[in-house]
Parts: sequence; structure tokens; C-alpha cells
Amino acid sequence: MDLFVAALGFGLVSMSVIAIAAVGFTMQFGITNMINLAYGEVMISSAYLAYYLNRAGISIWAGMVAGALFGAVFSFLLNRILYAPFLRKGTSHLGMVIVSLAVSAMIANLLIPIVGYYPRSYQEDPGGLIRLGGIALTRDQLIVIGVAIVLMLAIHALLAYTRLGKAMRATAANPTLARNCGIPTQRVIDAVWLITGALCGLAGVVAALNSDSFAIANGAAFLITILAAAVLGGAGQPYGAMLGAVLIGLITELSAAAWSPQYKEVVAFGILVLVMILRPQGLLAKRGALAAAG
Amino acid sequence: MNTYYAANLLVYAGIDIIACLALNLQFGVSGIVNFSFIVFQAVGAYAAAVLSMPPDTANGGFQHYIGGYSLTFPIPWIGGAVAGGLLAIPVGFVVLRKLRSDYQAIALLVLSVIANTVITNADKFLGGAAGIALVPPPLSERIDPNTESYQYLYVGITAVCVVLTLFLVNRIVNSPYGRSLRAMRERELAATAIGKNPVELKMTIFIVGGVIAGLSGAILVGFIQVWAPSVWLYPETIVLFAAIIVGGRGSNIGAILGALLVPVGFEEVTRFLNNDPAIANLGPPGLIPALQWVAIGLLIIGFLWFRPDGVHPEARRVFEGAPALED
Amino acid sequence: MLAEPQPLATAERPMLAASDIHRHFEGMHAVDGVSIDVPVGKITGLIGPNGAGKSTFLAVLAGTLPATSGAILFDGQDVTSWPAYRRARHGLVRTFQLPSEFARLTVLENLLVAAPKNRGDSLFGALRGRGYWIEDERRLVQQARALLKRFGMSAKESDYAGTMSGGQKRLIEIMRALMLGPRLLLLDEPMSGVHPKIVLEIQHYLEDLRREGLTILMVEHELHMVERLCDTVVVMAQGKVIGSGTMSSLRRQREIVDAYLVG
Repeated sequence: MDLFVAALGFGLVSMSVIAIAAVGFTMQFGITNMINLAYGEVMISSAYLAYYLNRAGISIWAGMVAGALFGAVFSFLLNRILYAPFLRKGTSHLGMVIVSLAVSAMIANLLIPIVGYYPRSYQEDPGGLIRLGGIALTRDQLIVIGVAIVLMLAIHALLAYTRLGKAMRATAANPTLARNCGIPTQRVIDAVWLITGALCGLAGVVAALNSDSFAIANGAAFLITILAAAVLGGAGQPYGAMLGAVLIGLITELSAAAWSPQYKEVVAFGILVLVMILRPQGLLAKRGALAAAG
Repeated sequence: MNTYYAANLLVYAGIDIIACLALNLQFGVSGIVNFSFIVFQAVGAYAAAVLSMPPDTANGGFQHYIGGYSLTFPIPWIGGAVAGGLLAIPVGFVVLRKLRSDYQAIALLVLSVIANTVITNADKFLGGAAGIALVPPPLSERIDPNTESYQYLYVGITAVCVVLTLFLVNRIVNSPYGRSLRAMRERELAATAIGKNPVELKMTIFIVGGVIAGLSGAILVGFIQVWAPSVWLYPETIVLFAAIIVGGRGSNIGAILGALLVPVGFEEVTRFLNNDPAIANLGPPGLIPALQWVAIGLLIIGFLWFRPDGVHPEARRVFEGAPALED
Repeated sequence: MLAEPQPLATAERPMLAASDIHRHFEGMHAVDGVSIDVPVGKITGLIGPNGAGKSTFLAVLAGTLPATSGAILFDGQDVTSWPAYRRARHGLVRTFQLPSEFARLTVLENLLVAAPKNRGDSLFGALRGRGYWIEDERRLVQQARALLKRFGMSAKESDYAGTMSGGQKRLIEIMRALMLGPRLLLLDEPMSGVHPKIVLEIQHYLEDLRREGLTILMVEHELHMVERLCDTVVVMAQGKVIGSGTMSSLRRQREIVDAYLVG
């Protein structure tokens, strides 16, 4: 029983990490219709950046901010230089998926000569254990949860109350109509990539912080978890991604406790498959998997 | 050029051609972005291996795998092909029915990663991370595999498989059925409006492609005599996609060309570079394979931008008695 | 107060009878209880302001979109649960508002691919080789060429359909639909985005087809066209039918004129 309560605690941390990542990912898809398979690699790149800063003595929290900035710029450039031109050219959804997969392979392999294959860890004292009921978490883990909550609230505030947020929602719903209503879609899209890129970079550092060690190979594994959360919640739906993250975080940690930690991604994948069979549009249905082709 | 090197080159070329013909059928002709293609080659290899090997208690019992029926050629190869087709059924059933196409691609990609993880961790099933070794070469009981004549033999049976595959694929692609597949690729919604059932078409081609992929895996495992998860990681599919895009998607000749330019071409260039110690030791270890992948990514993006139809584009079908082309 | 919809005079059973069709999606009631009868051998127009649900309704009739509720009887057969491809094989064929040609197939191939009776159009048929299906193929090539000649596009048979002009693409889609031997043709704004000269041609083709007994249901914005071509017209607004009958009878209904008809 204690094991499961402890797993619940890990689940809280897990869902926080996944939420930060999944919200960014799903917003990229929801507003620009881009399934950015290079997302995991951008995360890992930021994680490495924070690692080198950490080695140079800089605090991991400053590294997190640096990672966010790096992710923002990287993702913005990625869109401007690669994705947007292909989209303007009229490339199909499928073509864009291939492009983003090629990009992810390139990023991963450009990293390898620089960072090598061996797993790295941050030098960070996670702080003492703090007990809440039956759950015991370190100070760092609580900070991660706190960061996630703050970010989720910030995203909610952005979407619900700001002009930019409203413009984003309009562009997501109907880009042509939005443009015709005078919304500067180009600037909105730039803003989307900057903001979600920041989430991506930040998530990368946080995910690396949350694991014992990380290496380039983690990019793909983490992408699966993010995909599962995003699709479960309803692709393109930020609140859906939050919900999906909660569920995936909990279920994978509970299964790790009950079964084996090696199969966490397999469980996430299993959930993804179930969702695709039973309810492809996800829990908070909007546009999504069932949209007719063409 | 010694026989072993030549045989190596030819057998690999044959395997890559067969794989590319299958992927071209699925992706180039029918528009199915099968990002899990490598899994089907892998299942064929595993099947051929466990069919042809003795029970896992043999050879000192250091391996653990299911099966072990010591069957002789050609049964393991047929088994490999069948395994590829059988795997396509549940996978296609889950993925190819209600989802829009980019979701399908993602699901298949994820499957590829997960399959590798599961097989790596399931120690007793197919050898786990270490994989399976000491796979008996086909017909080794007739001809000593260590001789030159065996090399010729292997090239020969590979060539027969290539011809068979090309024959099969050609008949499918250059037929009214092939035309229906291409129409579905072009615009699935309009294809349904003229009576095409996309689910049936996709499932069929997924299975046929799976069979051919499985065969390619059987040929490969018989040649290298080992098989492990590290051989079939998900990026391997990306190499084949690059081959199809570069060679010319939709065209069988393009697929063959792509197979020779990309997987075979890269192999040979790498081997050539590695032969020069000055180059091989340049930079950190693993630089050359990493740069290979960067080059593959650039090839894909470059061709999709500048020449999406590839080096040898899909041929225009002109019918007998047509008026002269104006352009 | 809207007048009662004029009953459509049908001597025989309608080619298509849609009863109380609803189509809800994401909280929007695009089609909100539409019932129409499409009479045999006539051209029926479906008009209404933007967002009235006309194209959605057409898609539901064709099976591209499932109806949330309601029933569709096609020539007496209940096709409500049939997927689009099955309806097409049965003679209920649609065209699309946006160009939907098969771009990297030639014009001739666009027609050939639609033809149902080809032995080579199955996996095993294809595997049996050219000899097995070449006769069917030749027959269909002839049939397709006759259509191309009739619609004046013979010279373009080997051109890629994607390189054709908007009007030509529209013609290709109509010819493609005809290769199926349809009994009911659902046209979604066949004249939109088409050069006025070709609009006239399409009008003539449709009149010819009607003379040959084809039933047509046509969504169209161009009211002059509707006036010239359509025997009866159904008016939709906000997902409902607000009137039906001949154009002249509709013009007499004030409310419809105010709501929609101009000139």
C-alpha cells in the first residue's frame, strides 16, 4: 500500500513534467496544425544546455530559465526556417510529419558529436524529504510541481484573458477567418512558437532534473509520453493536454510501482492505442483525429 | 575485388531493393506513411531465425528464445514472409481505420519505438537485448557456408527473391488496382466518392508490404546470422523513406534507384571513408555515423523541397491511341 | 410567418427521400431537421445563404458525413448507415465544391479509375496479369474517350489532371462521376470559380444529362443559373428548409425573398 502512495507522489511530479511539455506540444498542433516530432530533441538540447551551465557552477533554476529561452529561440527559428516555408508551399500534413521526423533525426545526430552517448546528470542537491500525508517528496520535486502549476495558470490566463490568447484561439479554430478578421496570423504564429518553445525547453530541463540521468535517446521515449497525453486529452486542446498529463502521469507511475519501471513508455503507448481505438478525438473533443482528409 | 566483398554488397543491395519496393508500394503508391516498416522486416528475421534454429537449449543454452524447429530452407524464409503479413493484420486493424493520415503515421512511429523496447526487455522471448546468434545459414547442410561457392549461392537466391518481388509489385502497381491505390493516395475523400473503400485498400497493401518486408528480414538474418534490437531501431525506417523520396516515390525503378543510392550508397561511402585512418579518426567517435544521419535528414528535406518527385519520378501513363502530348 | 413549403409534385417514387436529417457536430446544428424528396429525372436546386448547411447536407446524403439522426432512402433503399463508397457503387455519386481531381493521374486515368467493372481492379485481378484485365481496360478506355470527346477534352487525355484549369477540373469531376453510371448526381456548387464560358457549357451538359434521364441535386449560389436549370428548388437557411417549389413560386413568398433571394 505504501508503495502505491509513494507512486502517487511520483505521479504528481510526473504529471507536472508531462503537463509542461504536453501543453506546449499540443498548442503547436492546435494553432499551427504542426505535429512537431522534433519536440523531444529540442527538449533534450535544452537539458544539455542546462547541464553545461550547471557544470560551470550556475544554479539549475537559472539553467531552467536558460533552457526556456533556448527552447523559445530554437523552436521559433525551426518554424521560420523550415516548417513555415514548407507549409506555404502547400505541403500536406503527411509531408510535414516526414519533414519534422527528418529534423528530429538531424538534431539528435548533430548533438551526438558534441555531447556524446553517455548519460549525464545534473549536480543538484534535491533537498530534504518533505512529507505530506503518506507522500514523501524532495524540495526540488515540490518546486517542479509548483512551477508546473504556475505555468498552467499562466497559460490559462493567456488564453482566456489576453488579446494574444484570444487571437490564438481564433487562429486555431479557423485561420482563414481569423486572418480576414484582421488578426495578424503571422505574428500570432511567431508568438505561439516562442511560447511553446519556451515550454518545451523548460520541460526538457525539468524532465532531466526528474530523472537520475538522461541521454539523447530519451528524446524519443519522452515524445511518446507527450503524444499519449496530448492525444488522450484531445489533440490541440491545452486543457486536454493538462488532463491527459494528469492521467498519464498517474497511470504510468502506478504501473511502474505495480509492474516494472522499464515499461512506463509501453503503458503510455498502450493508453495511446486504446484512445485511438475507442475515442480518437480524445477526452475533451474538439477538432482532431477524425477530421476528414482533404 | 574479392568475392566476399562483392557478395556482401550484392546481397545487401538485394535486401534493400526488396525492402524499398515494399515501402514504395505502401508509401509511394498508396500514400500509407508506414513509419513502423522496420518492425516488419524485424519480425520476418526473428521468425526465420527461430524457425531455422535448434531449440534454445542447444549450443550450450546461452540464449533464450521461443521456437527452434530446425527447419530447412526455404521454410524459414516463407515463415518470415508470412510473419510479416500476419503482423500487419492487428497493426493495420488498429491504426488504419478511423484515424486521419498524420495520426496514423505517428501511431506507427510510436509502435516502432515501443516494439523495440518490449523485445529488448522481454528476455526469454526473442533473446532480449542480446538478440539471437548462430542462426544457421540456409542450405548450410548442403554447401559449406565458408566457401566462395556459398557466396555465389546466396547472391543467387537473393536475386531470385528480388526478381519475384519486382514481378509481384510491378503487376500490382501497373494495373487498374494500382490506379485505384494512386487515386486514394491523391485524394482519399474523392476516392470514396467514386466507390473506393480506403480501409480495404490500405489493409491489403499493408499486408502485402508486410509480407515482402518479412521476406527481406529473413534474407538478411540468414546472411548475417545474428539479429538483435539494436539492428532494427526506429530510425532505420527513416533511411528507407529517404531512399524512396530520393529515388522517386510511386515508381518501382525509383525505389530500386533509391535503394542503391541511399542505404547501399551510404554504406559504401562510409566503408570507403573508414578505410582511411585519417578520416576515420577525425573528431569524436561516432562522428561519421552521426553525420550520415544528418546527411539523410538533409536529403529528405532537400528533395522534398527541390525535387519532391525524386530522381526517377512516377511515370505518366499514356494509353495506346492517345493524341500527341502538347507540352 | 413562413409559408408552408410547397409539396414537390412527383408522379412516381422520388429518387431520394431524406427524412428529418440532423447533423450536429461540436455543438453546432449544421443540419437541423431537413426532409426533402428529390424527384426522378429532374434537376433540383438547393439554395440558401452562406452557412445554411447546404454543403453539409449534401455530404450527409452522399455519406461523406454521417447523419446524427434521420433516414435516407435512395430509390427505395435505406442507405442511412451505408458508408460513402458503398453509396457511390450503388449509384449515388457526389462531386465536391473545392477541386477534387486526382492531381498526379492523367485526365483519362481520372475517368478510368472511377469505372466499376474492371477485373483488374482487385489485388488478385492485378496479380493475374495484364492478359486477365486488358479487355476490360480497353473497353473502358473507349468509354472514357467517348466522354472526353463529348465534353471537349479529348486533347487533354494524357495531361496530369492537376495541371488543368478550374473549369476543366470541374468537368473532369463530372465526367468521373458519370463513369460510375450514377442514378443520382449530387453536385456541390459546380459553377463556382469557373469561367463564365465554361459555366454555359456545364449548363448545357447538365440539360443533356437530364434529357437522358439522370436525376440531379445541385447546390448552387448563382441564382440565374438555378432559374434556368432547375425544375424545382429547395431553400435552406440555418440548417432548416424554409421553402421549396419552382423559382417563380418562391419569388412570390415575401419572406424567402427578403431572407435570401435578390433580384
